[in-house]
Amino acid sequence: MKPLKIGITGVRGIVGETFTPEVAVEFSQSFGTYLDGGRILVCRDTRASGPMARAAVIAGLLAAGCEVIDLGVSPTPSLQLAVTWLKADGGIAITAGHNPSQWNALKFVRGDGLYLNPTQAEELLDIFHQGEFAKATWDQIKPALQHQDPIDHHIELLRSVFDVEAIKHRRLKVAVDCCNGACSRLIPLWLNEIGCEVLAINDDAGAPFPHAPEPKPETMAQLSAVVKAGRADIGFAHDADGERLGIVTQLGQPLSEELTLALATRIRLEQKAGTVVTNVSTTGAIEQIAALHGGTVVRTPVGQTYISEGMIEHNSVLGGEGSGGVAVPEIHSTHDSAAAVGLILEGLARSSKPVSKFVEDLPRLTMVKHNLPVEPNRLYSVLQNFRVGIEREQLTYDQTDGIRVVLPQGWIHVRASNTESMIRIIVEADETRSAQALLDWVRDRLNK
Amino acid sequence: MRAIPTLKISISGVRGVIGESLTPALLTRFAQAFGTYVGSGTIVIGRDPRTSGEMVKQAVIAGLLSSGCRVIDIGMCPVPTIQLLVRHHHAHGGIAITASHNPAEWNALKFIGAEGLFLSSGEAREMLDIYHQGAYTKVAGAEMREVEEISGATDLHIQKILEVLGPLPQSAKSLRVVLDACNGAGSLVGPKLLEALGAEVIPINVTPNGLFPRPAEPLAENLGDLCTAVKEHGADIGFAQDMDADRLAIVSEQGIPIGEDYTLVLATLYVLGKQLGPVVANLSSTSVLQEVANRFNCPLFLTRIGEVNVTEEMQKENAVIGGEGNGGIIYPRINFARDSLTGMALILHLLAETGQTITDLVNSFPSFSLIKEKLVCPSHKISAVLRMLRHEYANYPLDLRDGVKVSLPNGWFLVRGSNTEPIIRVIAEAEREADARAIIHRVYAKVQECVN
Repeated sequence: MKPLKIGITGVRGIVGETFTPEVAVEFSQSFGTYLDGGRILVCRDTRASGPMARAAVIAGLLAAGCEVIDLGVSPTPSLQLAVTWLKADGGIAITAGHNPSQWNALKFVRGDGLYLNPTQAEELLDIFHQGEFAKATWDQIKPALQHQDPIDHHIELLRSVFDVEAIKHRRLKVAVDCCNGACSRLIPLWLNEIGCEVLAINDDAGAPFPHAPEPKPETMAQLSAVVKAGRADIGFAHDADGERLGIVTQLGQPLSEELTLALATRIRLEQKAGTVVTNVSTTGAIEQIAALHGGTVVRTPVGQTYISEGMIEHNSVLGGEGSGGVAVPEIHSTHDSAAAVGLILEGLARSSKPVSKFVEDLPRLTMVKHNLPVEPNRLYSVLQNFRVGIEREQLTYDQTDGIRVVLPQGWIHVRASNTESMIRIIVEADETRSAQALLDWVRDRLNK
Repeated sequence: MRAIPTLKISISGVRGVIGESLTPALLTRFAQAFGTYVGSGTIVIGRDPRTSGEMVKQAVIAGLLSSGCRVIDIGMCPVPTIQLLVRHHHAHGGIAITASHNPAEWNALKFIGAEGLFLSSGEAREMLDIYHQGAYTKVAGAEMREVEEISGATDLHIQKILEVLGPLPQSAKSLRVVLDACNGAGSLVGPKLLEALGAEVIPINVTPNGLFPRPAEPLAENLGDLCTAVKEHGADIGFAQDMDADRLAIVSEQGIPIGEDYTLVLATLYVLGKQLGPVVANLSSTSVLQEVANRFNCPLFLTRIGEVNVTEEMQKENAVIGGEGNGGIIYPRINFARDSLTGMALILHLLAETGQTITDLVNSFPSFSLIKEKLVCPSHKISAVLRMLRHEYANYPLDLRDGVKVSLPNGWFLVRGSNTEPIIRVIAEAEREADARAIIHRVYAKVQECVN
């Protein structure tokens, strides 16, 4: 199976197989065509294929007549903020986010710093498939690249939003694992700026990923050891491009990635009541926390663009999803682990409690996630059959994204992955045994 | 007639018009084919200052990295510098991003082999095979590398020239030189070299911004500004380079272009004066070259047209100097490439060491009149033209290695199709200008009749 996934999150594939320089060139030329030339920012994460993809992207953009500003190795949210700062018309982030190192991808950012929405993504795909791109002539083409570093601007914005003095006053000791990703350039600096004592590991942007770039308990063992050995107040784990955040408590306990948004929600709603936007497969704990603090929850389909648009539509106070992505609207309505770090440290600084106490007070639900690889050609028929089965059992289901069914013991959510050829199953219940039973219930029906 | 194509893929490389056929996807595929051809080795790349240079370079880098190559980017520099650096780094090949003398809307890739020589026709065909088959080496992400950007490639080139030839001898008066770099790849390095040699430099057209201040070919009709500047400044010589700084033309101290052919003649005069040995040139070179070789009793070998044909023959014959009649000087002690920088150093040494003027030096040879013409000709008609000429001139000595070259009692002419453009070239030479004109008129008319 050699999938190239072309979807609303951009184009993503395995380098050396489906993610070729031609694909990157032609997608970038399509994007340049879509934006009618204009000023485009480019950044990349630290994958070894990054320089190849960067060259292909720049070639495609220049050929379409764009003015290109290269941000080098930078987190995706730093690029998103720089789009408005540098008055650009859009950006391309070269990163496969939390995917393993053999993957790479292009993510397309529009002029307001948010990802293309599904309609816009479809328009871009139409240009790509049609293959008729804008081609600058010799007297239109831009003869040189420009360079900018977006990190200082990102930190400046973070400083203006969070209570830096309060955080400085607490003199927190913070352990951080940057997975040798793009955050290596941002997070340690940001933490220094707010007076934290930083225990950084895997903060070498020139080195390969030391573990999967997906902040989950199973990738946080090293960070947990550092928190314990260094007696840190908290540990933060990052993905390759600065969107997702994982947390280790001061006791060295790695938290499920679902708890990142839960913790952020609790801290945020204590400061400011309002609407929280998340997707249909994120923990039901968000509703329970919102109920306690007088907030409301809006659920969207899975995908950052839906959360961003939901946040703007509902004028929300927070957004995010169960993968560890948190969006703080005062910074921007898109996942930004540096903003999440700021929000959580501000919450800790204003209270005298350790982070484990915050976590203890969160609702305890058990969520189980399971990925079922399916050949690309069978993916949608398997899902179709599942839905038909549910209908036959006369169960009501939500089709915001995939199929979500609320059952007496909890809820189940089944959908095709946006990024890989697999079906993602998520179930949640009050306790482990019922969650396991729900998962079995889904798998039985998928295997029929 | 069909429209003139905007893309030309040949053994000379791939060249095309920006904004039309020379797309980044095509360039990336070509770079992948070359990366595959060299077995994912080390590749040196450089470019001329065309406005499309950065785009083309990035497309090339993407293709090379994707096929597992180590890429050394030496930036904006003359083509001979790239060739020199391929040798210097013991690289497996090089890509020169330049459409040499084509107008500003063109760009091209020229492929260089392991020794710094352009790919021979056989090697180029193998590479084109890989391109057309489309099965390129694709390495996994983990095996890809960062581009190594190296500055100072041209300094290394200057250093090499000084090492071999040394600075100009100290004399009462330093040579005054006007350099017209055509805003090309030689814009920055040329003045630096001339100063390092100890000459006084008056540079014109040395802003490498991709805008052409004159047509890029250093032909007499394009050198008006240079001629004026030489006279104005009372210079000893004027040098004109093309966009990629491989070719060199000379303007005399009287402000008169002496013709591209005399660049190789003068360089040969200097080199043979220092070291006897074989000379190699292509078969469209002036007969004056034979006079120089005769003067030193050295053999002259003539080859097919094209730099790689000359360099290969030079290696085979162990030549001490070689080149082409279009102003390309190849001096193997410095570089196995047409190199205008080396050419300037050789010519200035000749001036300084003989104390003669350019006019005196040129007048020391019997004068020949060489006339070059060209006419547009669709590629499918070229063979009919050549057949006609072979037939018509069957009673004269013929050289059929490259087009048709005919030796006449009072001169010679050559007719051949261009490797890079859909044109046919007609060249004639005779001792008397009237004879040369008569020959070219007659042949041109016959060719034109055949094309139409």
